[in-house]
This record gives sequence, C-alpha cells and structure tokens, in this order.
Amino acid sequence: MSSDTALRADALAKRFGRRGGWALRDCAFRLPTGRVCAVVGPNGAGKSTLLSLAAGLTAPTEGDLAVLGTTPARARHRVGYVAQDKPLYPQLTVAETLRMGADLNPGRWDAELAGHVVEGLDPAARVRTLSGGQRTRVALALALGKRPELLLLDEPMADLDPLVRHELMGTLMGQAATHGTTIVLSSHVIAELEDSCDHLLLVAGGRVRLAGEIDELLAAHLRVSGAAATTDLGPHSVVESRVTGRQLTALIRPAGPLADDWRATAPTLEELVLAHLRGAGAPNPTEERAA
Amino acid sequence: MSALTLTAAPAGRPRQTRWLLRLHRPALYTWAVLWLALAALLLALDGPLLNAAAEGWRQVRNCGMTERCTYDQKAILRYKDYYNYATIALNVLPFLVAGWAGAALTGRELESGTARLAWTQATSPARWLAVRLAVPALGVTVCTGLLAWLHHRAWAAGQGRIDSAKDWYDRFTFHAGGPTLAAMALAGLAAGALAGLLLRRTLPALALGVLVAGGVRGLTELAMPHLWPAVTRLSTVDQGFLGKGLVVDQGMVTSSGAHVPPPPCDSNASCDAAYAHFTGRYNTYHPHSDLWGLQLTTAALTLAIAALLVTGCFLVLRRQTGTLRAARATA
Repeated sequence: MSSDTALRADALAKRFGRRGGWALRDCAFRLPTGRVCAVVGPNGAGKSTLLSLAAGLTAPTEGDLAVLGTTPARARHRVGYVAQDKPLYPQLTVAETLRMGADLNPGRWDAELAGHVVEGLDPAARVRTLSGGQRTRVALALALGKRPELLLLDEPMADLDPLVRHELMGTLMGQAATHGTTIVLSSHVIAELEDSCDHLLLVAGGRVRLAGEIDELLAAHLRVSGAAATTDLGPHSVVESRVTGRQLTALIRPAGPLADDWRATAPTLEELVLAHLRGAGAPNPTEERAA
Repeated sequence: MSALTLTAAPAGRPRQTRWLLRLHRPALYTWAVLWLALAALLLALDGPLLNAAAEGWRQVRNCGMTERCTYDQKAILRYKDYYNYATIALNVLPFLVAGWAGAALTGRELESGTARLAWTQATSPARWLAVRLAVPALGVTVCTGLLAWLHHRAWAAGQGRIDSAKDWYDRFTFHAGGPTLAAMALAGLAAGALAGLLLRRTLPALALGVLVAGGVRGLTELAMPHLWPAVTRLSTVDQGFLGKGLVVDQGMVTSSGAHVPPPPCDSNASCDAAYAHFTGRYNTYHPHSDLWGLQLTTAALTLAIAALLVTGCFLVLRRQTGTLRAARATA
C-alpha cells in the first residue's frame, strides 16, 4: 500500500446494531497525504462514523479502511482525533491533561506546541470549570501535541468564537504546512472550510457523493443558464437543474464544448455542494483510483 | 552499532498507571480510609474487645447457680456487635468493588467518551483495559487478603474464650476469613468492569455489576459444600446425628443400608411409628479440618468465574473497537 495515502476506503460500510440502519454504505475514496480535507454533509450523514472508523474506535461492518497505509489500530499512535463532544477528564487541570498527553504518547509529544494551543488558559484551572470553547482548545492541544501524521477533527470549530476559530485554524494550517500533517475536518458549515481546505469529501445518506481536490472539482463543473424551451443539455451530465419561468439554471459537468446559447459561470464551492446534495445520484467524477 | 540504534529506537511505553491512580484518587482515598478502619477494628477484635468479652464470659461461667451474678454484659455485647459489623463489612467489600468498577472504572469512561480519548492516544483499547483491570486487581488482592488474614486471626482467637463465637462454617465468617474473600473481590472487579463495558452507562453499570457479583456469590455458596470430600458418620436412631460441622446431607439409614431423608411426623406416637423401622442415622458433613480445603477450592472456583468475566470484558471491547478485525486483517 502506498505511503502517500492517508485514508483509503474500499466498499466501507458501518451498521450500528444488528438490525440498525446503515450509517455508512459502499464508501470508496482515497485521500492523499498532506491534504486538508473537508468532510461535508448534512447532520446524520455519517461524517462522525467515518472519522471514528478512521480513528480505530469502531470496526467497519463491511469493507476496509486503510489509515496511513495500515490498519486503523496499527496507525493509532500516528493519528490524532478530537471527537465532536470534546471528551476530557473533568477532574484534571489543563496542565495535568497535557502532562497525561505526554505520558500516554511517549516519544512523540511536543509540549511546546500543545502549550501554544492552550496559551491564555490558566494551567491550574480544572477542565470542568472551562467553557466549551476553552475545552475545545485543550482537546485540540492534546491531539496536536502527539504530532499526528493524520489529524481527524469532528466539527472542531462549532463552539468557538470567530476570533479563536481564526487563530486555531491558523495553528492547524501552520501545522499542516510545516509538518505535512494531513488534516480531515468535518463540518456542515461550508463557508468556513472554503479558504483552508484543498480536498473535499461530500457525504450524504451514508454514501460518498463527491470526493476530490476542490480545485479540480470546481473546474469540472459549470453553472449554466439559458432559455428552457430552446436549449438542450445533451451529452453533459446534469447534477441539478431548475426552471424558473422560461429560464433554466443548471449545474453540469460538461462532456464537451457547450452550445453558444448557454451562459456559463464557474460555481462556488457552496453551490457545488448544495447542488450535489439536492440532485443526489450523479456519478462520482473523481473515480481515479489510487495507484 | 547501527543495529543497536535500530533496535533501541522504540520509545517507552505509555505510562497509564500513574494516570489511572490520579483519575481515581477520591476512590483510592476512600478505600484507604475504609481499609484502615476495618483493619483497626479487626485488630481490636483480636485485642482489647476480645479480652474484655472473654473476661465477661469467664465471669458468666463462674456464676454457677448463684441467684445474683454480675458480669460485664456490655463487653460481651460490644464484642458480638463489632464482630458482626466487621464480618458483614468484609462480606460487602466485593460488592463495593463491583459497583465501583462498573460505575467509575469503565461505565463512566464509556458514557462520557473519555475512553475514546484514551484510545486515541498511543494506547490500544486492550492495553487500556488491561491496566484498568490489573492495577485495581493488585490493590484489591493485597488489601482484602490482609483483611481476611486479620479476620481469621480475630476469629481464631475467640474460639474457646467467647461462648457465643461464630462457628467456622457460619457463612459470613467463612467468606470473610480466607482466600475466598480476595477471590470474590476480584470477581466483583471483573463483573463491574464487564457491566460497564456492556452497558456503557454509569448507574446501570453500577447496578448490573453488583447484581452479577451477587450471582457469583450465590453460586459459590451453593457449590461450596460440594467442592471438598465430606465425612459421613453413622449413628443409632437414639444417638441423634454425630459429628459437628458444615452439614451437607443428613437422614436415616434403612435396614437395607439405603440413605433416605427423615420422614415427616407431628406427634410422639406418629414419630415413634415412623422411625421404628430405621436402623440408624447418617450425617454427611465437613469437620473443622476441612476449612482450608473448602476455602481454597471455593476461592479457585471464584477465580475461574472471574477469569471468564475478564475474558468477557476483552471480547466485548474487541467487538466494539474492532481490534479483532484488525488482528485478522494483518495476520
């Protein structure tokens, strides 16, 4: 298995309980290392399930998920993970929590980096007295301190104020740039990811709808509009189309040159994501499998 | 040299024990206080409390037939009460361990998600559980072992001096004064841990842990008399049952030599008639000399159950976290 792949899923599926519904089904994608990947999708889409599978916290029901070229269990010491509810031991102080991180990750711990993330917090403050945002910072410090090669963050910024969010995003991006850390972060707010992420994984209804480099995905799509009666989208694959009056607006993946009577513009990431969520069922454009 | 540096590369193991003790510091302190109190009580039952009560019983024995007789009744009752408190407390310890293990050791960590925090450090879930079972197991074995020894000493010192002293086969005395106590506490630890892993919630796990520990205790009590060969003594009908100890089976011997249960009867005449055709009585029982045989076999049975519960813990954890799958995939 190539070491330039951070995550690679094959027919990955997860069902909770024997008769429960499928949280994930038939997922196949590949995430190269060194990317900052946004896992986007509506609530309950399977984002958290995907991340906890990658963190080795649950076992897939079917299929395989390779993490950093090996099994999630074997990659454990190289992977950082912050769960959605940011669990921490409430009775420990901030300093103790970080000391525990050092003791549980021998040989990898970066005390300076961890300390930098919680800068401004009282080291003697007990975790139970911290606000939601402060707890997020402690949890991030714990995950970053082990110098992971792959960092999995489940809705990391949800309870942070814009200033801290910006600051921490800066720390994360700095980490990604200097150490080549692959970062996978899930969110249902697309706008906050557009500037920082270069890879997209769109999950909905337990399936991967779209996966690939954001630039390539955007370049492969066009937003077109024209008269509904006279024009034909012919060979192009239509992700989503809407008719307002006589006007037809569509998001397409052009299969060749476009007819002259269409006005075409480049879509934004948000338009792309929304179109794919609404017009479910379009084939995955980035089927190029890992070598 | 290069080979040396290559093999010397792996960093030290994650230091979990230190943090396990830190996280459960309140429980540790409570346990220490409880242990000290019980140890002090058991030492007192072997010392001043016993001496005062024994003096009281000596006075009672010297009373003879005199009408007015003074003896230190308070000392006698105090000894009896404190002996019972200590014995019951020791019997309750395994359930305390079970409740704590279910609630605090595994249940709460799974409920609050901190277990997932631990599993995403450089520690595998199996190792996390191993430390969580091994460290308390060591402490519980040493502490309950010492208490059981102190209890046995106190009990033995009272034999022959305290007329109301419990027999060795009194169920609470038996389970407080030997290796069965430590074994039962270990089974409680395993039962609690399994309950926490199964239910993943604090309070239900506390209840289930105590319940399972109760089941183990009930099972060992049922099995105990049959774990060591018992003695059978025969007597005539008029002699009554011979032999004193833990009774396994009692009844009548027929003329053909068969052992049958005593027949029911409710009046002198009907009893005389019912017993007329028996040739004698039999009494199958454990004499005092069987005490350690029974203690060790009962402890072994309890430990076997504890081992099964521990295996269950690892299987449940493996099913939940998928280490089983990973092992198969790389094999």
